[in-house]
Amino acid sequence: MTRDRELRYVGRPIPKMDAAQKVAGRAQYIQDLKKPGMLHGAIKYSDQVHARILSIDASRARKLPGVKAVLTGDDIPLIPIGFMKDNLALKKGKVRQYRDEVAAVAAINSEIAREAVDLIQVEYEPLPAVFDPEEALLPGAPLIHETDAKGGPNKSNRLKLPWNLVCGDVDAGRAASTHVVEDRFSTTWVAHCCLGASGCLAEFDLSGNLTMHSITQIPYLAQNDFGAFLAGLGLEGKNVRILSTTIGGGFGSKLDTHVYEFIAILLAHKTNKPVRMIFSREEEFLAQAPRQPTRIRIAQGCDQYGRLTFRDVDMILDNGAYTSWGATTPSVMMVPISSLYRVPNVRYKATCVYTNNLYSQAMRGYGNPQATFAIESITDQLAEAAGIDPLEFRLLNVNQPGEITPQRFRVTTCGLRECIEGVADKLGWAEHRKNPKKARGFGLGSLIHVGGGARVYKSDGHGMIMRVDDFGKVTVITGGVEIGQGLETIIAQVTAECVGVLPEDITVVKGDTSICPWDVGTHASRAAFVSGNAALAAGAKLKRKILELAGPMMRVDPKDLDLRDRMVFSTYDPEEAMPLDKVLRKAHFTAQGTVLTAEHFYDPPNEMLDKEFKGNLSCSYAYGATGVEVEVDEETGQVEILKYIAAHDVGRALNPLLLKGQVYGAALMGTGMALTEQLVLKDGKVQNDNFLDYKILTALDALPVEPILVEPVDEAGPYGAKGVGEPGCVPVAPAIANAIYDAVGVRIRDLPITPEKILAGLKKKRGGTL
Amino acid sequence: MKTFQYLRPASLAEALDLLARHGPAARLVAGGTDVMVDFKKNGLEADILVSLRRLTDLRYIREGNGQVHIGGLTTLRDLERSSLVARRIPGLADAARVMASVQIRNVATVAGNICNAAPSADTAPPLLAAGTQVRLVSPAGSRDIPLDQFFTGPRKTIRRPDEILTEFVVPIPSGPYSQAFWKHARRKAMDLAMVSVAVHLELEDDLVTCRQARIAHGVAAPTPIRTPEAEERLKGKKITPELLEGIGEASCEETLCRDSIRGQAWYREEIIRVMVRRMALRALERCRMGRPA
Ligand SMILES: Cc1cc2nc3c(=O)[nH]c(=O)nc-3n(C[C@H](O)[C@H](O)[C@H](O)COP(=O)(O)OP(=O)(O)OC[C@H]3O[C@@H](n4cnc5c(N)ncnc54)[C@H](O)[C@@H]3O)c2cc1C
Repeated sequence: MTRDRELRYVGRPIPKMDAAQKVAGRAQYIQDLKKPGMLHGAIKYSDQVHARILSIDASRARKLPGVKAVLTGDDIPLIPIGFMKDNLALKKGKVRQYRDEVAAVAAINSEIAREAVDLIQVEYEPLPAVFDPEEALLPGAPLIHETDAKGGPNKSNRLKLPWNLVCGDVDAGRAASTHVVEDRFSTTWVAHCCLGASGCLAEFDLSGNLTMHSITQIPYLAQNDFGAFLAGLGLEGKNVRILSTTIGGGFGSKLDTHVYEFIAILLAHKTNKPVRMIFSREEEFLAQAPRQPTRIRIAQGCDQYGRLTFRDVDMILDNGAYTSWGATTPSVMMVPISSLYRVPNVRYKATCVYTNNLYSQAMRGYGNPQATFAIESITDQLAEAAGIDPLEFRLLNVNQPGEITPQRFRVTTCGLRECIEGVADKLGWAEHRKNPKKARGFGLGSLIHVGGGARVYKSDGHGMIMRVDDFGKVTVITGGVEIGQGLETIIAQVTAECVGVLPEDITVVKGDTSICPWDVGTHASRAAFVSGNAALAAGAKLKRKILELAGPMMRVDPKDLDLRDRMVFSTYDPEEAMPLDKVLRKAHFTAQGTVLTAEHFYDPPNEMLDKEFKGNLSCSYAYGATGVEVEVDEETGQVEILKYIAAHDVGRALNPLLLKGQVYGAALMGTGMALTEQLVLKDGKVQNDNFLDYKILTALDALPVEPILVEPVDEAGPYGAKGVGEPGCVPVAPAIANAIYDAVGVRIRDLPITPEKILAGLKKKRGGTL
Repeated sequence: MKTFQYLRPASLAEALDLLARHGPAARLVAGGTDVMVDFKKNGLEADILVSLRRLTDLRYIREGNGQVHIGGLTTLRDLERSSLVARRIPGLADAARVMASVQIRNVATVAGNICNAAPSADTAPPLLAAGTQVRLVSPAGSRDIPLDQFFTGPRKTIRRPDEILTEFVVPIPSGPYSQAFWKHARRKAMDLAMVSVAVHLELEDDLVTCRQARIAHGVAAPTPIRTPEAEERLKGKKITPELLEGIGEASCEETLCRDSIRGQAWYREEIIRVMVRRMALRALERCRMGRPA
């Protein structure tokens, strides 16, 4: 893999290539996109949470000047959409959540479109609703969906999507335990809060081919979904082209094709005009899908020495009214449940339940933060029961390089021990244990996440094409999606490094499914890993071709040539050299000349989970530990984070600047989830559709984050790198919860950890009442 | 989309004239940081916006006749940066620092904050605690009203539609005094108070005995309020933490805290109990550290 020579660009803190464009306001977001004759779409949402649609009167909307189309469920063919095909673009028969789309308008401007929406009148007959996922499972609970996607009857609100993992013998493990703790935890709806609100622009050409200007994280899966939708519209076999604009944040909110996108397609089809659909900030809270809430029962045990004996987890996920890819987050929750620390016997059962709540989806970490909140909280509780310091307890059970976990993950490198020790050291753990200060507490949380792709789909592949022009400039055409994480910069660094040019010689072309080869999407912290590996392979091919051309020109065996910093040279005598551009022009401008391209499709050698949910999901596993010191105000319950140390096993830091950016951002996002963020739903209705009452943290709340990078160069990764996009926000909530417990002896089991909950806990502890 | 006329009078007289002429169809706008939110959220009820932005001579902070005079158009940022405010009305300086964000504070005005009359208006408790009077000017003349008679309900005041708030007059006590203000919020910027507490203490020369006290709260009732009975109980007493426990309790008794999405009543009450004590102690400490000259 890495040769001994010094790396020139990989490992350097090169600023994001698109940063200046964004700062200067030059980047083109979906909101900036305009087309001649473009119409503006708007959606009529349900104002009932569960009801039969008796009638829709759109006559007044249709008559409003400037309105070009009004569609309801009655005007369109029934085309099931969504991960489980349990949704419709415009609802027919009944609505199941407040945000249900009942009608849509296309008009010459967005004000008229919205005015028209307000003129549409819907008559409903309310139905009994259910909002608590556990109640929704009881016999007699109102059925959200009477039938499944195939038309078969549904007997309950339980999704036909069971998650069951059994490793070893949990009952025997429990019986053999010296200490066992059991508890329950819950996490709630958290919004992605992308700064760029959602939107798309759909346009058909005269042959019925669709171009979708989009902000999706999964262009090729979207192409597939939209293609199927077109077939439903009678446009079978037509082309779908996805063109990506600059994306103002993803965080998992764009892993599904969304209802508003299908509505834009319907309106564009109906009017034969380009139709743009843009969300307001309020819609972003009301009609997007937040992080999947969970209720978790967990039991964990250890032997007399503190070695873990078993872990038993039972989880309920509030799916909401429809199903997104979020219902598959248990597949990633399994990662920490089975494989964080060495635990021989594991059982995990997850049930996704339909309710009349807002439907939910995946978010950064893909369920891992929810699962790790329970695991790392109970790990502290178990350490206490066993009378062992929580730091020591973790080190006692720490994962090892080379181990095979109960879920059959083949661990390659593992820097978890270094991470935990590094964090403890920087926090001053030993000193704190000797001299604890009043109302101050230390807390740890560890993490494991997929670090080398994740085969959650049939292919985990990434396609890349490289071409080099007459001047030695390299164009890299990638199927990957930049959502602000720095993909473009990483590709330029890796390409420059392996081909032998400079990063500024690289142009990255992306975001066009008609040009760029397939990629499964930006998720699972995989983009740098897969695109880096693709660039290494394609770059090596390109370089070989260049050297083969240069050989005869320089009368040197190509095997003895190398290319570095735009110069082809003999490895025996570096003085014997020829500039790259000269080689390329010479090759091009001769009779039957040649220009160079190379391509590579990289599909990592990882495995899809088998029927028992076992298999080596990822090529490598990312580890990390977060440690915080908090101070709790015992009279108000307020928490101040005094220190925040985040250690990450990243294999190799391809770009420490971008990497730390991910760590800082994840720290703030994770702390928001831990302390302040919560989409408040009352009987299914969002109460805080704005940034005043939905509390993401502000610049003034920024934490004193100190990253520690642990780099056990991993064979599987490009130059040894593992993914790091999501891990930072995984162990934050339990680290903070553990620190609060350490400070004041109150354990909070339900996120977010508000001052009210802490104060109530303190009062209860003191024996008082509220 | 709703459209409106935007008028920019160059003088107070012209502004008053426009208000008189257009009646309830006109609405004043200073920094616009409440008006524009209202506009976007609820649609504006007015057809005419009368901007006060050009009345720059209503933007001042000065001392005279044993009083601090603050022009209505003074921005929150002006308050925050004023050494006069820091010295004479430290509770108000505390408030300005924790309001909104620098960008908002650069345009938002004190009169806008007070006239908008939100229960959470952060300048209200410190101004109430300082014993402030407001000057309202109309074509008919001007009147001075104690701020504690100004608010009549959530977003309601005694101001008539033809009046402009031109000045705040804050008395400077002759003896030792100080103040402190606490905004209880979930984050450090861009947040509204869950509840807030301002304490103003005037002391005898022994720096222990309370000569006079004023305690005011935000989000503890439909309007910003004072709690006079608690204030009365401090009068003439030697201030100790133990005494202040009781004062916090008493002050809490005079509030009407309620449950809302932003916080629960029991918690708000709890914070009032704690923060009355802490802010009184902070004011006491400030008083002892440097008697306002
Ligand atoms: C992002 C954001 C954060 C905020 N944070 C806070 C906060 O932390 N704390 C807080 O208290 N507020 C906050 N606010 C509310 C607002 O910024 C303040 O109330 C501000 O002081 C209003 O001043 P303004 O000059 O912008 O008022 P405007 O919006 O111009 O006017 C407000 C009201 O007062 C009237 N008015 C204005 N000037 C006069 C006058 N001279 N005479 C008579 N009537 C007048 C107007 O007609 C209007 O009804 C925030 C607002 C935003 C948008």
